[in-house]
Amino acid sequence: MILNAEQAMLRDTVAQFFQERAPVSALRALQSHDDSHSYDAALWAEMVELGLPAITVPEAFDGLDFGWMGLGAIAQEAGRHLVASPLLSSVVMAQNVLLNCGSTAQIETYLPGLLSGEATAAFAIDEGRYFDPETIGLAEEAGALSGHKTRVLDVGLASLVFCVARKASGALGVAVIPSNADGVEISPKRFMDLHGHGSLVLNSVNSDTIDWLEGPDVEGGLARAIDQVTAVLAAEMMGSAREALEQTVTYLGEREQFDVKLGTFQALQHRCAQMYCELELAESAVAAALNGLDQGARNISMLVSSAKALANDCFTLISSEAVQLHGGMGVTEEMDIGLFLKRSRVCNQLLGSSSYHRDRFARLNGF
Amino acid sequence: MSDQSELSAFREEIAVWLRDNCPESQRQPIVREQQIWGGRRRQFPSEDAKAWFEACRDRGFTAPEWPAEYGGGGLSAEQAKVLSQEMNRLGCRPPLYCQGLWMLGPALLVYGNEEQKKQHLTAICRGEIRWAQGYSEPSAGSDLANLKTKAEDCGDHFLVNGTKIWTTKADEADWIFCLVRTSDSTPKQAGISFLLIDMASDGVSTSPIPLISGESEFCQTFFDNVKVPKANLVGELDGGWAVAKELLKHERKMMAAFEGMLEKPAMELLELAHYAVGSDENGCLKDAELRSDISQHLMREKALGQLGERIYWQGKAKQSDPRLPLLMKHLGTSEAQAKDELIMRALGEEGLSMDDPTVPHGLRKMVKQWAFNKSLTIAGGTSEVQLNIIAKRALGMPSEGKS
Repeated sequence: MILNAEQAMLRDTVAQFFQERAPVSALRALQSHDDSHSYDAALWAEMVELGLPAITVPEAFDGLDFGWMGLGAIAQEAGRHLVASPLLSSVVMAQNVLLNCGSTAQIETYLPGLLSGEATAAFAIDEGRYFDPETIGLAEEAGALSGHKTRVLDVGLASLVFCVARKASGALGVAVIPSNADGVEISPKRFMDLHGHGSLVLNSVNSDTIDWLEGPDVEGGLARAIDQVTAVLAAEMMGSAREALEQTVTYLGEREQFDVKLGTFQALQHRCAQMYCELELAESAVAAALNGLDQGARNISMLVSSAKALANDCFTLISSEAVQLHGGMGVTEEMDIGLFLKRSRVCNQLLGSSSYHRDRFARLNGF
Repeated sequence: MSDQSELSAFREEIAVWLRDNCPESQRQPIVREQQIWGGRRRQFPSEDAKAWFEACRDRGFTAPEWPAEYGGGGLSAEQAKVLSQEMNRLGCRPPLYCQGLWMLGPALLVYGNEEQKKQHLTAICRGEIRWAQGYSEPSAGSDLANLKTKAEDCGDHFLVNGTKIWTTKADEADWIFCLVRTSDSTPKQAGISFLLIDMASDGVSTSPIPLISGESEFCQTFFDNVKVPKANLVGELDGGWAVAKELLKHERKMMAAFEGMLEKPAMELLELAHYAVGSDENGCLKDAELRSDISQHLMREKALGQLGERIYWQGKAKQSDPRLPLLMKHLGTSEAQAKDELIMRALGEEGLSMDDPTVPHGLRKMVKQWAFNKSLTIAGGTSEVQLNIIAKRALGMPSEGKS
């Protein structure tokens, strides 16, 4: 449940890199571009150079095989700076769906471009108001694919979309669709946290332009990929929560009122201490989930649901408290803390709210 | 390699020994009334319990890691781990319960002199003396260093006057280890000494304190001109704080060695919830809110274990984050109480009495446990004190009054 020396070294390198190259101001700067511009391509090119797309890719496919603990540590560092990049959308989501659901030939077709940074892909699963992977309406009918998807991360810059859909046979599948194919309509947007996503409408997209992933167990692979992605998102959230708490403790140590540092007040100390307890508790659940992925744990879905639910609750608590404890400054755009608040609510809805994961956990445990 | 083969030989030997010496009845989950406590007035709950205790005593397995010369087993840490694993595997009950084993002994091994070790450790291992702890006082709870029980230097002995509260099971104990004030020097911690007192001495009296659980685990002990020989001072005069800290370190370590130390509830939470609330055709609990809250609790309970694992692996890799252990007490005790509240919600009417004979005994025990467990966030450092410690030591927040 701890990083090995290589993983720790990569984490330190990446932490330094994000600190220098991707401060929160870089996220804010994206607003001056149109909504399809959801990350800075130059930043992503440097991240590719660091090898980040290859972290969990098996060596057989020219990956680093550094494991999910390793990737989780990188995601945490990204979370600290609210980094906007296709790491989650293209690498952890789309590329990972490819690895889990694709045939060897398909992996060999699509993976090199994703690893080299020449292409990025988006992953489309959500259709309704909430994350609900069991209800997929987008379906193939009479040689064409129609329907809509929503909350497709970084879809504005993606050249491929990995789209969860029902095949004509009724089976659940993943369709690889070029984003410029006829009948594909993409509407890029930003969430309030400035991260980019978009909706996707498919109007009778011809089946000939679609490549269905055809690995040995697409449905199982998809479930596995979603667990993996969810664990990494939870890790990213923990990085953001940790940063928000640290900024708050620092602020309370500097700000003076009533002739003393605010941080000397026991009422505030207890709230910070409580947050820290919640932080390390959730962090432990996330570490257990990442470690479970590396170890091939059989109860991985339970570990992942615990991790996401606790990460949701923890980041929600810490970001809300952080705004409150920053006082008036907390509700100004001058401070970054408000972005952490917004980010937490966006992350809550991505890949399952706490309600979703508590329900799933209960089902998995037979109650 | 040879270490490993020696250990596996030891494991085999232990497995055979346990099979031969641990009676079937002593391999059942422990029930509180059948715990084996030592002491001058000890009474074994059964012949089997007596046989099991004596077999362990004679091999030093009541205190496996203590030196054999003091009645311990003289086992290495690895061997002791093997023993505990094998005992857990068979479900063996602990052969002896005693605060002397868990708390005083480890501190005596560090701070006691040869005489003290010979006399007290041996009596603890052999279950001859039962110990109580005398730390808190009516006016010194969280502020322990403010204790007033005084030990006056009278040449060949100390004269002790004062009172100790929350002395767990002191009404059944033979000796008590106490923190006493031996000087008024500042800081207050600097005038405290660690004293061993025979509770049969003239002037010692104890009365149980009735608790909201209907039981009286805790007592108050009074000292009225009690003469205590100088030989009973552990460590330096005025140096008792260091001994007390050493003792705290070991407090729960030894207990953690046995999974089966505490009585298990009649039903686990989920079983209880299915029994009391019922479930629909999909097996989901009928009370959706309770179901969600149970999920959350189980996740947090599991995460606590995972936090413990993180601490363990960090330690093994010599990368310990010193902040993490500070969180365990507060998180663990508050989660235990959260579970009790879920039990109470599930129990409904059956949770509203501790002594209604129409309610199954096992369920009433759960209700008593709920009430008793309110002490978890108070005893051994309140949650508020824990949060103070976390704010200062883990988060580095400034002390009050200093800016």
